[in-house]
Amino acid sequence: MFHLRTSLRFLILNKSNAPLPVLDQTRCFKRWVAPTLRELRKRQKKLGPQEPQPRSGFIEWNYRAELFAFGKRLHEEFQLPMLQTALTQPSYIEKEKVRQTELGISEVDINMQDNYELSERGAYLTNECVQAFLKHSFPLIPLEGIVAFKEYLLSTEMLSHIAAHLGMTELLLDSDYPPSKESLARSLLAIISAIEQCNGQERAFLFIRDFICTQMNQRDVFDMWNIEDPEVLLKQICEERKLGEVEPRLIGNCGKNTVLATYYIGLYVNKKLIGKGFGEDVTTAVKTASLDALQELFSIKDNMRPLNFQAQLKPSNIKAVEN
Amino acid sequence: MSNSHLFLKSGFPRAPLQNGLGRYVCQLQRVTLKFCKNHGASRGMREYIENHLVDFAKENPGVVVYVKPRRHRGPVLVGEYLNGDREWLYCRNASKDDISKWLELLKTQNGSSSSLRLRKMWHTDLPSIQGPWTPFTLRSPEANMVTYPNPSASRPLDVEQSATEKLVELFKKQRFADEALEEKRAE
Repeated sequence: MFHLRTSLRFLILNKSNAPLPVLDQTRCFKRWVAPTLRELRKRQKKLGPQEPQPRSGFIEWNYRAELFAFGKRLHEEFQLPMLQTALTQPSYIEKEKVRQTELGISEVDINMQDNYELSERGAYLTNECVQAFLKHSFPLIPLEGIVAFKEYLLSTEMLSHIAAHLGMTELLLDSDYPPSKESLARSLLAIISAIEQCNGQERAFLFIRDFICTQMNQRDVFDMWNIEDPEVLLKQICEERKLGEVEPRLIGNCGKNTVLATYYIGLYVNKKLIGKGFGEDVTTAVKTASLDALQELFSIKDNMRPLNFQAQLKPSNIKAVEN
Repeated sequence: MSNSHLFLKSGFPRAPLQNGLGRYVCQLQRVTLKFCKNHGASRGMREYIENHLVDFAKENPGVVVYVKPRRHRGPVLVGEYLNGDREWLYCRNASKDDISKWLELLKTQNGSSSSLRLRKMWHTDLPSIQGPWTPFTLRSPEANMVTYPNPSASRPLDVEQSATEKLVELFKKQRFADEALEEKRAE
């Protein structure tokens, strides 16, 4: 009884000294969220689609630091003015001139060089180096195949993809933002030429090998090289290599005169099987079989060894820099 | 997968631009450290900036580091990647060790990992090494030695038992059982 009385007394004492805190926060459904979001959406819709904001317009932007980091990221030593030139499109200089005349400056003076010459030189270098790499990697493929691969690697799409993934979209000085694919591709070529001038040709070739040639990895060869008539090409190759006459033979067929017809055809040269393929009719089967034979002859099977991207290449017929 | 992941972008683990095949390029291109100069929540961030940030910048010259003081706002790490991703990390009350760990994460991943749901932990560009299936794939080698016409090879594989055959079988079974019973009785 005594205990109860003392504890009660304590309770009363406590109550008088420190009043309980008032809980004015309650958990409830937040009825303002959906209307607010709806309103924001409505306003956004009214504004229409927004232009992408260039990163250079932000407060935290230091172009010099960005250029420095760009070189370091690629493990290349650049002279910053050279890099700056490689990243300046002619259209940017045009735009600056127009802007200055509009501002009323009579003698327009812009101390900037554009990357036109650099990109021309870069295009030449890249072309030679990629061709040498492809010839080294696919020694058995005829020239038209090499040209097809080269076109794929040096297409504007591919070059601009590489340039964008090296972080050049923000660094490029172009008249419009985001820069067009053409200008990204041009400036990537200009960067290659800048590497040649800063670090020598060897480094430029290594750069091309590491960033452009590696795009050949894991690609289906016949996606890049669309052979119109594989039978004709196969015939031509067999004549060139003096293998003999190509002879298609039926290995098996099933489901004749049905929708699920399958023909299994093997191609023989001097009674030796060089390729086999399937098709829903004989002509398609011969076509797939000749593609298979071509893969065998060019040693570009699906299970071929990965290409050697560590090869040190030196294109033989490269011209020195014209200064 | 919880509800919060329903609208998350999904993808596969991929190396952008065949990274590492030629040479390795650090995919983090710039990082911004935002903090308050006198608020307690930014204490770890301030300590990190005072003690370790210069070392970080020296070790990673390919990453542009921006430091942005803001009055009475929480500390934030923003990483920007070469693939255009931007990752925003709130570091309220994080110690300097936490921040160095988060920075290490930003540096080593190749995009904003928190905004990507991985559909699988692996990916291949060539899903089949054996090509499309045809009636001739994985065919038994015995089939090569058969001479046609062959009665057993030309019969369909799924001929069902007819009702008569079933009845005959049942009858035979019953007779066998009866015989066995009689033998037992004789003993």
